[in-house]
Amino acid sequence: MFEINWALLAPLFIVEFILLAVALIDLIRIDETNGPKWVWAVICIFISILGPVLYFIFGRRP
Amino acid sequence: MQWSVIFKREMMEYVRSIKWIWVPIVFFIFGIMDQITMYYLPKIIDATGGMPEGAEVNIPSPPPAEALFMSINEMNTLGILIIGLLSMSLIAGELKSGVYELVLSKPVKYANYVTAKWAALSTLVLASFFIGLLAGWYYTNILFGELAIDKFLVAFLVYGLYLLFFITIAIFVNTWFKRPGMVLFLSILLIIFVNIITSILGHFLTWSPGHISSYVSTYLFTGNITTEMWGTIGTTIVLIIGLLYAAVEVLKRKEL
Amino acid sequence: MSLMEVDGLTKAFDGKEVVKDLSFGLKTGTCVALLGPNGAGKTTTLRMLAGFTHPTAGTIQFDQQSLTTDIRQYVGYLPQFPTFHTWMSGLEFLVYVGQLSYLTNAEATDRANELLEKVGLEDAKKQRIKKYSGGMKQRLGIAQALINKPKLIILDEPVSALDPIGRREVLNLMMDLKKDATILFSTHILNDAEEVSDELLLLHHGELVEQGALENLNHLDQTGKIQLNFSVYPEKLESQLKNLSSIKHIKPVGQGVEVVVSDMDVARIEILQLVMTKEWPLTKFEQAKTTLEDVFMKVVNS
Repeated sequence: MFEINWALLAPLFIVEFILLAVALIDLIRIDETNGPKWVWAVICIFISILGPVLYFIFGRRP
Repeated sequence: MQWSVIFKREMMEYVRSIKWIWVPIVFFIFGIMDQITMYYLPKIIDATGGMPEGAEVNIPSPPPAEALFMSINEMNTLGILIIGLLSMSLIAGELKSGVYELVLSKPVKYANYVTAKWAALSTLVLASFFIGLLAGWYYTNILFGELAIDKFLVAFLVYGLYLLFFITIAIFVNTWFKRPGMVLFLSILLIIFVNIITSILGHFLTWSPGHISSYVSTYLFTGNITTEMWGTIGTTIVLIIGLLYAAVEVLKRKEL
Repeated sequence: MSLMEVDGLTKAFDGKEVVKDLSFGLKTGTCVALLGPNGAGKTTTLRMLAGFTHPTAGTIQFDQQSLTTDIRQYVGYLPQFPTFHTWMSGLEFLVYVGQLSYLTNAEATDRANELLEKVGLEDAKKQRIKKYSGGMKQRLGIAQALINKPKLIILDEPVSALDPIGRREVLNLMMDLKKDATILFSTHILNDAEEVSDELLLLHHGELVEQGALENLNHLDQTGKIQLNFSVYPEKLESQLKNLSSIKHIKPVGQGVEVVVSDMDVARIEILQLVMTKEWPLTKFEQAKTTLEDVFMKVVNS
């Protein structure tokens, strides 16, 4: 195995985590979503980056 | 002032709908993901033993100019898609829901309405693009070698203009159709059309906005801002102003 | 004094005229109902008067000036289905539209608070609009129409979509508004028009078919109903009445008949003469007041 430079990857993981956290917090606080909430929760958690983005664009009701 | 009232309300909407968090993050990721992948690619291939026995893994490390251009390449595809999604209901959504009728019953100038919305989205997109490209430039420097900051700045300004051009196309299409899906489809179709025309008739249309990314690429390698690049910048600015003007005029004539 | 003078107002969409050659005036301080069935061109008319749909032909004079300035500054408009930015609070939205109407932030905030109290939304002003009920949204809609103290308030079907309680709230609010502004509202419900308006404009297939004060309309109309009751139902009553020239239609009702007549003055004499010669035991002769509904039906069916 090769050395992983964690300092290099840390920012990527941090923003990914922020994106996920923001999406989940918003999902809890929001009244209604397009489609069931739990589906969006699953999508956000299991599809990294793309999941939360899909939720922000298509899941949120204005 | 009426313009700033609309601009501020638009900004407030971006804050409440969390766009001011997720859009910059997404552009940040677009900005750095190719550099990181490229950096680790040879090592990953090595480690997984994907190459046949005896074959040498020899992927040359790209020069810094090419590395930074990878960020722009991501903006050119995924970035454009995100911008299309952000702008597809900017005006069309208000036309569809009926808020537009209520806003229009106030003494709102069409030009204020269109340009304030345009400026608000442009601010969000350019700020996010700045963050993404800055991150890309930083990773380029530590992974692939030094690239002067003015390279980054010029690339930001010139390619940023291309993103503004796309936002303006989307705004213009917004005034024609009420269905957001239709707006998205047509905006992306139009920008693809501009690029196809440019690649077919590129020798004649040296000032076409479709050349911007290739001119930026050339600039990153050579450091020279060519006459064609200035011409393209000029054409793009003129087209942006023309499309905004057209959008205002279409909206003025639009029957609810 | 006339607040608005409309002359020859016409609107065509794709060559099809939906509003045809309307001419009328709105007197200052009156409440005018624009009455007509669905599809009569009410909304298009109101949008033109509110200044954001352009007439195909005709002129609108406001406050005795030909319109060179933006009329929208002086008019408050409530769309038929008001929609808001529902992620904003009621207060935020009112301040926003106030600023769009060239009020400063401070002016708009004061005015918004004043109006929220007036329409009874004070307790809900910090709530997101998406939590509002239909009646609350309608009242917020009226509040936003009043934000710039308009001289003319235009309301498109303000009560049609509301439940009885919401309807009552809004009608009371309109009665209150009548005191200091001119109101023009559209409706297809006759009771609402009768209840709050001083004058009527009757629109049908885009044409103005009747206009004037409520009382005058009733006078103008010579057709009407007469109710006749007898202690003993006379033989051949209906066939005898049918022979009279002024009678158009006969309907038996309980101990008597209801007749629709073409000319009230002639019918009165003819019927009473017949009753006297036949010595029918008449117990009731009632000339029914022509209701708005009768006028409406007559105009629409003619």
